[in-house]
Amino acid sequence: MGEEKGDFEPKIVGFTCNWCTYAGADLAGTSRKKYPPNVRLIRMMCTARFDPMFALKALLNGADGVFISGCHPGECHYIKGNFYARRRIAAMRTILKQLGLDNRVKSYWISASEGDKFATTMKNITEEIKAVGPNPVRDEIL
Amino acid sequence: MKGTELNYGDLEGFFKGLLESKAVDCLIMPRRVGNSVSYMLVRDKDKITAPESAIFAPSFGVNAANIVKGWLIDEKVGIVAKPCETRAAIELIKLTQLKEDSVLLITVDCAGTYANEVYAANYADIGDQVDSAKIKELAGKEISIRGACTICENRLADVGDIAIAQANGEKAVVAGLTDKGVEALTAAGLSLEEKGLEREAEKEQIAADAKANLEALPKIDSEAALEEFLRDCIVCKNCRDVCPVCYCKDCFFDQPLGNPAGGDLLNLAETRGAVAVPANQLLYHLTRVYHVCTTCVACGACEDACPKDIPLTRYYPVITKKVQEIFEYVPGKDVKEPLPFTTYEDDELEECLK
Repeated sequence: MGEEKGDFEPKIVGFTCNWCTYAGADLAGTSRKKYPPNVRLIRMMCTARFDPMFALKALLNGADGVFISGCHPGECHYIKGNFYARRRIAAMRTILKQLGLDNRVKSYWISASEGDKFATTMKNITEEIKAVGPNPVRDEIL
Repeated sequence: MKGTELNYGDLEGFFKGLLESKAVDCLIMPRRVGNSVSYMLVRDKDKITAPESAIFAPSFGVNAANIVKGWLIDEKVGIVAKPCETRAAIELIKLTQLKEDSVLLITVDCAGTYANEVYAANYADIGDQVDSAKIKELAGKEISIRGACTICENRLADVGDIAIAQANGEKAVVAGLTDKGVEALTAAGLSLEEKGLEREAEKEQIAADAKANLEALPKIDSEAALEEFLRDCIVCKNCRDVCPVCYCKDCFFDQPLGNPAGGDLLNLAETRGAVAVPANQLLYHLTRVYHVCTTCVACGACEDACPKDIPLTRYYPVITKKVQEIFEYVPGKDVKEPLPFTTYEDDELEECLK
């Protein structure tokens, strides 16, 4: 099992805000930082657009990991969008923790100037999800 | 707190007085039909007879707040109900599904309730009213209160505009909890005096017992356990329809994306190889628990409504309680307190995002 965990290439879906994390990913690219190709980014205008159903749906459709990332609290392009998002993400993760499903969900704050942090975070999350193993729902009929 | 003590026999006059004085234009209140108790919407005061035989009855059919959900009317409706129902109505006010000025919330003490069909079948044993000693005695005869009532921490009338609390003997204390409530009581012709209705020690005892019962419930703590728990769910969505605080006009799970059929479902089966039908069982319950996570008043109407007898009290009230704890929010406690998702603090919740 351990071997299998290490070997597989996880599919990770990331929900990122247009102004910070997506721009951070752009910076990582233009500065030629290397990071694993396991993440697929979905760009939203703000993390406040994030609906926990997005993460639930991704996980139930077989994504091995999901992350949400946006501007640091207090630095939202729309002033307070990520404050509301933070409450929703916290509620969703509190629910998932109780059901033992939170180990595939991560949340970060990465700004547009943090290309380095973006690349490192993507390396880390890929390792973490590899350690958790493939999402069992892939083999199930849901 | 301003209130007065009434004999059971005087309650009829009090409710009639509310209608007569136009303190309310109509009342939604329990009425007795043989062995059963159900709600009526009454405008003619003469239709109210012997309310004392119905308003204290430990019977739960529907959550009264679900009846008035979305009633954006200008007339004033009085709702005589149990604490969990009043709390749901207060959440509906905050969710703008009910106008604060068009309701008068009259809350009656509750000792715990039986599902209405259980109540009717065992009326000879249960009677018009129970207390905790009687509930224990009945449990010995395998007549048990609803699961949600065993984990209920707030069953004394301390929310809403008017409280009707049980006093010794066949008497009730009727007290105004808000200015609106006091006004209505005065209009109904009661002469009010200062009444203490704090009952802190009793409340603490109830909360402690409820917490212990909640801790003792089997946990759903892994994906496998959740799947096992929901295995028999047929996605009929009754739990949504009876939920007083689940209020979207266009539910996602009634739309093609949430309720795929025909070609959509064939396409899903094409991508995944196979798809369970009815579809979206897990997504439905996970989404719904998030949608009610701050407002669930733990009334247990969902469990009662489940045609497959899934003990949903182990899921909705238990999971949502932890979310309410992180926001230090008690649904239905205070109509002025903002809903957690409509407000924020600059620095918070770091622990929950790890």
